[in-house]
Amino acid sequence: MPTTTRWFIKSGVFYFILGITLAFLAEFPSLTGNLSLLPIYWHMLVMGWITQLIIGVSVWMFPRKHRDKKKRESILVWSAFWTLNIGLILRFLSEPFIPILEDHQIIKTSIILSALLQWIAVLLYTIEIWPRLQNRKKSRRSKA
Amino acid sequence: MMPSQSIWMIRSALLYLILSVSIGTVILLQKVIDLHPFIWALLPAHYEMAIWGWIVQLAMGTAYWMFPKKLDDPRRGPNWAGWAVFILFNMGLIFLVISTLFQSLIYAAVFGRGLLLISILIFAVLMWQRIVTYRNHH
Repeated sequence: MPTTTRWFIKSGVFYFILGITLAFLAEFPSLTGNLSLLPIYWHMLVMGWITQLIIGVSVWMFPRKHRDKKKRESILVWSAFWTLNIGLILRFLSEPFIPILEDHQIIKTSIILSALLQWIAVLLYTIEIWPRLQNRKKSRRSKA
Repeated sequence: MMPSQSIWMIRSALLYLILSVSIGTVILLQKVIDLHPFIWALLPAHYEMAIWGWIVQLAMGTAYWMFPKKLDDPRRGPNWAGWAVFILFNMGLIFLVISTLFQSLIYAAVFGRGLLLISILIFAVLMWQRIVTYRNHH
């Protein structure tokens, strides 16, 4: 299992636990007050857990276009990992406070940065994985 | 070898991931910058595309590729059935997404979900025969 895959899956498991914990806490409004937790735990589960698990496994299992001996990790995959995770952390730290601190500059900047980083991460992952989607005939032709 | 049906299902899933995250980006920005009130109307399209277009379709494409193949030809079931799954699923999803954007098209959601149902039934029949082990096969 490549290093990037392990990082994606471990990070995914972390969000899985955090997401289900928040979903549990959201059942107690006296604890959470005015914090907006619904979009947070949904995105922890769908982007943080499921999508990172898919990315990690596909980067590992989908046929590689260039099979070099060291199986070096693609710069694109590492960039996707860091942009996605920094984007998610910024989002989860700032989005719950939007109802309380809507006009605060730090919250605004953090949300804008987080939105752009998540979007870039998805593009980087797609650029990495798209060329790997080939059947054998086509991949032989492209190597020739 | 990855079959063409899986390649197209996974490509379509990637496109839905980009579309869904792009809409999600705009919705997230709308929370702190007042871009346009219409943006909130895109929320149902955002999660329909994320769940059906991205997660479900990628799982289907990968399962169609990786599950044990049958011992007799055609080894993944009839070729047309795999294509029917891809085409019906994606047509259904397009109708479903359109129905979330235009509330007046009341039959679009029913038609879209109907096509999704048919495609998933065909997929289930195809995969059922491949949920096997050949460990004790001689």
